Amino acid sequence: MPESAVAQGWSPRRIPGVAYALVGLGMFFSIFARGFLSAPNLVNVGAQSAILLIVALPMTLIIMAEGLDLSAGAVLGLSGVTLSLALVQGAPLPVAFLLALAVGSTFGAINGLLVAVADIPPFVATLGTMGVAEGLAVALTDGRSVVGIGSTLPALYAGKFIGAPFAVWAAVLTYAVFHVLLYRTRFGAYVFALGGNREALVLAGLGANRYHILVYVLGGLLSGFGALLLTGRMSAGHPTAAIGMEFDAIAAVIVGGTRFERGNGWLPGTALGVITVGILKNGLNVMAVSSSLQVASIGVLVIAALLVDSIRERR
Amino acid sequence: MKSARSFHIPPIVYRMISVALIAIALAASTDAFIRSENILNVLRQASLTFLIASGLTLVVLTAGLDLSVGAVVGLSACLTGAAVKATGSIPLGIAVGLACGVVIGIANGLMVTSLKLPPFIATYGMLWIVYGINYWYMAGDTIYGFSDEFKSIGNGYALGVPIPVYLMIAFLILGTLFTRNTTYGHEIYAIGANAEAARLSGIPVRARLVLVYTLSGAMAGLAGVVYLARLGSAEAGIGDPLLLPVIAAVLIGGTSLFGGSGSLCGTLIGALILTLVLNGMNLLTVNAHWHPLVYGGVVLIAAGLDAAARKWSDG
Amino acid sequence: MKNVLLVIVISAFAVSCSSKPEASTGEPADSGKTGGENIAVFTKNQTNPFFQTVRVAAENAAKQMNASVIQYVPTKADDIPEQMNQIEDAIVKHPDAVVFIPVDSEAMVPGIDKLNAAKIPVINITDKVKGGDLVTFMGCDELNLAMSTGQYLLEKMGGKGNVVLLEGVGGSLNSANRVKGFKMALEKFPNVKLLASQPGNFQRKKALEVMENLIQSYPQIDGVLAANDSMALGAIEALDGAKRKALVVGLNGTKEAIDAIKAGTLLASGDCDGFLHGCLGTMAAVRHLRNLPVPKEHTFEVKVIDNTNYTGLDLPLEERMCPTWESLVKN
Repeated sequence: MPESAVAQGWSPRRIPGVAYALVGLGMFFSIFARGFLSAPNLVNVGAQSAILLIVALPMTLIIMAEGLDLSAGAVLGLSGVTLSLALVQGAPLPVAFLLALAVGSTFGAINGLLVAVADIPPFVATLGTMGVAEGLAVALTDGRSVVGIGSTLPALYAGKFIGAPFAVWAAVLTYAVFHVLLYRTRFGAYVFALGGNREALVLAGLGANRYHILVYVLGGLLSGFGALLLTGRMSAGHPTAAIGMEFDAIAAVIVGGTRFERGNGWLPGTALGVITVGILKNGLNVMAVSSSLQVASIGVLVIAALLVDSIRERR
Repeated sequence: MKSARSFHIPPIVYRMISVALIAIALAASTDAFIRSENILNVLRQASLTFLIASGLTLVVLTAGLDLSVGAVVGLSACLTGAAVKATGSIPLGIAVGLACGVVIGIANGLMVTSLKLPPFIATYGMLWIVYGINYWYMAGDTIYGFSDEFKSIGNGYALGVPIPVYLMIAFLILGTLFTRNTTYGHEIYAIGANAEAARLSGIPVRARLVLVYTLSGAMAGLAGVVYLARLGSAEAGIGDPLLLPVIAAVLIGGTSLFGGSGSLCGTLIGALILTLVLNGMNLLTVNAHWHPLVYGGVVLIAAGLDAAARKWSDG
Repeated sequence: MKNVLLVIVISAFAVSCSSKPEASTGEPADSGKTGGENIAVFTKNQTNPFFQTVRVAAENAAKQMNASVIQYVPTKADDIPEQMNQIEDAIVKHPDAVVFIPVDSEAMVPGIDKLNAAKIPVINITDKVKGGDLVTFMGCDELNLAMSTGQYLLEKMGGKGNVVLLEGVGGSLNSANRVKGFKMALEKFPNVKLLASQPGNFQRKKALEVMENLIQSYPQIDGVLAANDSMALGAIEALDGAKRKALVVGLNGTKEAIDAIKAGTLLASGDCDGFLHGCLGTMAAVRHLRNLPVPKEHTFEVKVIDNTNYTGLDLPLEERMCPTWESLVKN
């Protein structure tokens, strides 16, 4: 199995900027935001960040493969709508869930085919599928929430196992799966190669296209999974509730250290990026900071987190 | 079947044909389309998109991205509105709007060059910061009550043609001359094609990058003034829905995200295609729920045609 | 370097963990305390002036009653998960009561449930949530408001002619109610033809573009029914640009609309004043905490503002004061 340790780009001496941001914010809010450090609040942050993490993990792989997926939020919405409509029709939860996953994966496959086979730039391809997915979701629901999905899913979402909510477990599990996928499987090695050295893959006859498509399918699949959580959280399906999440995910991935053009990927960085933004928003709410300042802070955080890395690279 | 002489039709021709086809289809489906007022409306609407997209094209030519343009349009419109209302001077208002765009553009350029931040993150962070400033400044209010003279910048006609169209033509000519006929322009293409090689061949890469981001900001600032004049009122969220259509216009127009190829003509055509489609949907009273679907479809079709054309001219 | 960082982090955590989060400034709701109540106010976005009016009114009312207000507005306009997050974050601070405008009437119900579970009373204003325990709902009767305003327009048109309808945001409840009200008014005037009904997303720019296109499709438009003032004003700009004339009505009664009514460009606007929502909602919250009676539901009076009755309504926001509770609420 190819050596992926070097490609990991992390050594103990190089703490990435996002880690500083996380610790810095954590300290700041611990001192200045009453109630921030309480168990209920920290659990909230975890649950609130879960869906974004689930979307950001496959996004990491996609970005490592020199692509991006702008359709993630719209596909999540469409999957959620599918899930809810199925539940409203009386389908049992596992069936509805599989349906949602199927919808997500289909769009993922379409993205993959457009990018890997039709050679359409990922930005354009996923911009297109975003519109299509959003359009379908809105058309199916008239732009409205889908209610009456029963109590099984909301109860599942609200459930706690060993003190941690379902969403947190879902996120942790997804992270574990991706960690194994990226760092311990052949597929993962190929993902590194897709970004850094695609020609080698092609020359070795290893079906670069297959893995390239799979990366996008994963994205769609996890949008479907995220839809399960979001729908459980709202006790309803909503076509556009997740629109915009893809930009947040991309930002979290890049802030976490993964780059478009180098085939470098750092999964823990993505998790750090997601949690840092989650802590920022949560801390600012707990401090009751004015909303315009909150908006600006997000921009400052994103820039500042990468600034540390940039300054270091220049030395 | 490979042929010895390659049958190379420039992509721009395909695009112009697409525009013509769409126009013909619309003219056939509804009487209202071909009326001069409607055509002028379409041109006016396309001009507004083009103004923003033209600056963005320059950035994309360098393989960069400017996600902050929508936010800049909003802030510029609000500041211009405040200036015009406070002083009654239209030239001052326009200067304020432009200055707003220029300052933000320079900041973006510096972040990308001196701080070496990835353009996605730099401009994404800037987007949030600008919105934050805008929300704080406007505090949920609107600014309204402008003279007909000012509003004519957006609404008015000169010699029967809407004024924004003159701006569009002016910047199309200026921009094309700039990119094709000046060293600056050639250098920008070179940087997009291969930044490192450009640097080694003596091109002042940093200065050129700051220039393109500044121009992108300036055009967004100008567009903000025109939008304000057209709407007759400013509120903080004006720029929200603009970002994706503008990016779509640039991409449909054939400018590559990888840098080094594309043109302002292409962007103009991209803007026209999108505006025509929207106009058609409105005239045919297509339910608004279908709009995102159609948009997405148009993007995909355009991209697909592009990819197909590339395969043909390669084979 | 890393060790120093570690030490700092640990000591910071130790310092803050040792000081327990302060109990909220309010005591349990039924202590009858007068003064110092902490009200959390949730609005939909930072851009629509309607909600700014609500926020300013809430501060106004709170000050009058010796209470204080914390504003929660999503960083992304109308974002459902974000409002949900803000509810959870607010619960951590345990406000004494919540004045709530939902981003989505259905999807926010679990948020209300959370507030209920945390025993925080909820006063719902403007858009009704479709579930959860509420102390009260205070809002406009949008159906009646739209119907009355529509009727006003159609009467001014002499009961005949062509109208177009500008709807709000596709799935929203208040858009649906307003459109329904307009259509009910249309039913009473069989000689008026509804040419088209298109969504304008409650946005000025969108309404302007839609109206421009409608003007192209229909050479004769006599009236415009717009589901909110922003769209009405956008439609007016479109009509001006095309040198066409039509009677236009909107809903909400914003200051800009009233100025337009004064100037004669807008015919009328149905009064759904965000200021009163904010005032009354906050007052109701404080009253509830002080064990004073609060009606289970309050519908604001339906009023169509035209050029005869706008005096007093056109004050700038900074100068407005909340009316007294008694003047609006008959018990």
